[in-house]
Amino acid sequence: MDFLNPRALRWKIAALAAAACCAVAAVVGFLVHDATRERGLRVGTDRTLTRLIAAEREYDRTGRAPADIDVRSRDELPEPLARDLATFVGTETEPETGAVTGAVTESGPPDTGAYATWYDADPPNWFWMWGAVAVADDRFLVVRDDMSTEVRSLQLLDRSIVKSVLAALLFVVPLAALATEPINRRLRHGARTARRIADGDLDARIGTAGRARDEVTEMASAVDDMAGALQRKLENERRFTADVAHELRTPLMGLVTAAGLLPEDDEAAGLVRDRLRALNALVEDLLEISRLDAGAERARLDPVPLGELVADVVRRTGTDTRVGAVDAEVVETDPRRVERIVVNLVTNAHRHGAAPVEVTVTGARITVRDHGPGFPADLLERGPQRFRTGASERGRGHGLGLTVAQGQSEVLGARLTFTNAPGGGAVATLDLTPHASAA
Amino acid sequence: MTSNAQAGSVPDPRGPAPGPAPVSVLVVEDDATIRRAVQLALERYGYRVDVAADGLSGLESFRAGAHDLLILDVMLPELDGIGLCHRIREESPVPVLMMSARGDALDVVAGLEAGADDYVIKPVDTAVMVARIRALLRRATFGPDGPAPEKSGRDRAPDHILTFGDLTVDTLGMEVRRAGVTVPLTPTELRLLLEFAAAPGSVLDRRRLLRDVWDYGWEGDTRVVDLCVLRLRKKIGSGRIETVRGFGYKLVRG
Repeated sequence: MDFLNPRALRWKIAALAAAACCAVAAVVGFLVHDATRERGLRVGTDRTLTRLIAAEREYDRTGRAPADIDVRSRDELPEPLARDLATFVGTETEPETGAVTGAVTESGPPDTGAYATWYDADPPNWFWMWGAVAVADDRFLVVRDDMSTEVRSLQLLDRSIVKSVLAALLFVVPLAALATEPINRRLRHGARTARRIADGDLDARIGTAGRARDEVTEMASAVDDMAGALQRKLENERRFTADVAHELRTPLMGLVTAAGLLPEDDEAAGLVRDRLRALNALVEDLLEISRLDAGAERARLDPVPLGELVADVVRRTGTDTRVGAVDAEVVETDPRRVERIVVNLVTNAHRHGAAPVEVTVTGARITVRDHGPGFPADLLERGPQRFRTGASERGRGHGLGLTVAQGQSEVLGARLTFTNAPGGGAVATLDLTPHASAA
Repeated sequence: MTSNAQAGSVPDPRGPAPGPAPVSVLVVEDDATIRRAVQLALERYGYRVDVAADGLSGLESFRAGAHDLLILDVMLPELDGIGLCHRIREESPVPVLMMSARGDALDVVAGLEAGADDYVIKPVDTAVMVARIRALLRRATFGPDGPAPEKSGRDRAPDHILTFGDLTVDTLGMEVRRAGVTVPLTPTELRLLLEFAAAPGSVLDRRRLLRDVWDYGWEGDTRVVDLCVLRLRKKIGSGRIETVRGFGYKLVRG
């Protein structure tokens, strides 16, 4: 699987880890931000009140406020402060619930009573803490204190929280992606093995190599069990076919030899011999297919002049078949298998097609063409199927010939294709060009 | 797999006998029907046929009568065809044709390694079997005027003793000596060696050897050649015949 595939398990898990990381950071960050902000406000309020109290004392003593403290009339007060102070002047009321305004009564001197504060925030750069206290009728001491230090430090805190979360993500995401690697590797190994089994390596098993008894191991052993069960079944079936065919050979040998002793000119003997040949061919085809199925066949390569081989093979079929060759090549292949394929194709063409049957060798390609109705659609679509012949032709041929041809061409690493000629007639092409099967 | 569907080419079963003195063949086969049927069929072709039902009695019959050719089944009771072939090879270079009901490589290779000259897969048409027998006998009986010297165009060479290193091949006396000691070769091995000796230093491909020595067309199994070359190498020295990968074999001159 591609490392960069965004749908890979590794990236999903990494994304999950990143999301979890961000969620934790958000909650913690919010709590820290809130606590710090509260503290900043409290510090600011305390500072303002301290200045206010000091100023009030000085005013009491000297009748003048310090230079940095304003003395204002009620009308000159900012509106929230005025409202706040008014609550002290009137009856005792509930303290205001607004976050930015608050009344502090407990820390002030007992004789004067009420200090009002107001946090005047207007982002991005207007942060003042106001404080006011009444010192005479319509005379108020007003303190204004800069809160931007607190705000800046809060902003810095936020920024550093975001930075550390990003840094953590830089670390966590690759780590999560890497941490999934062992599981990924096991899954990939499992997938590879399953594919190998599908490709015919029935002995392939995933194995339970890891010590972890997790779901992947469980899955692996389940797949292995399945592969084992299927393999046993398949092998039993194959062995049965091979055994049947093999056990048939011995009596068949006696029969063939004995039938050869029957008089040549007797019609009944001729019938026996004819059916015996058919039976013999069937057993041979079955044996061959079971060997091909078992994957036990290996090509024995020799340099083969294709034109010569095909001409010779077709001549020996004893059928009326035209052979032509155009630039026939010498090909490194197994002549006995090529013979098998060509004989089967030619026999099939004569049996199901119509004359004239033409065999042409072009380069490393052998084409067998007849002028009959062509291959049935089913065969063109799905390739040769065992014991499946055109229904109307049942009884003529057992439908193994093309299966054998196909299997043998696979052993040769060649490509056997079935098509119908535009002008009617079936065309089977065996392409022996090296690596033709890879195309 | 031998192509055995050539019933059309069967000669007249009661046709000409292979020679003035009937050729005697020993058939060792455990299946009674096959044994009898093969006996009858070969007798029709004019051969004198002895039969045996198991390996040990086969060995006894072989020792008792001088047979020109042996046909052995691979799976036999007592002593199997491969073991029997080994025993016979220790005593005689008589041509041996193996008959196997299993076409798998192992059986075939084991039989050829044991010294069989050729093999057929059951069920085999009588015509095919007779063709193989004739080819084997031709190899066993050809003499100085046999096909090999003619084919090689070397027949008028004054010197009929060829020397390759410590190996001498007498193409008239049909004798092979290695460092002065006579090497016992079966007819097939001798025929193969003569084929090489006729063209020393040139590469002979398996197909050609199969055609010229075994009389096979394309349907022949080239493993027969490989295993016979292997046996020949054991007898005449392993370096004498070289394998040319992808092409075939050649005889080293010096």
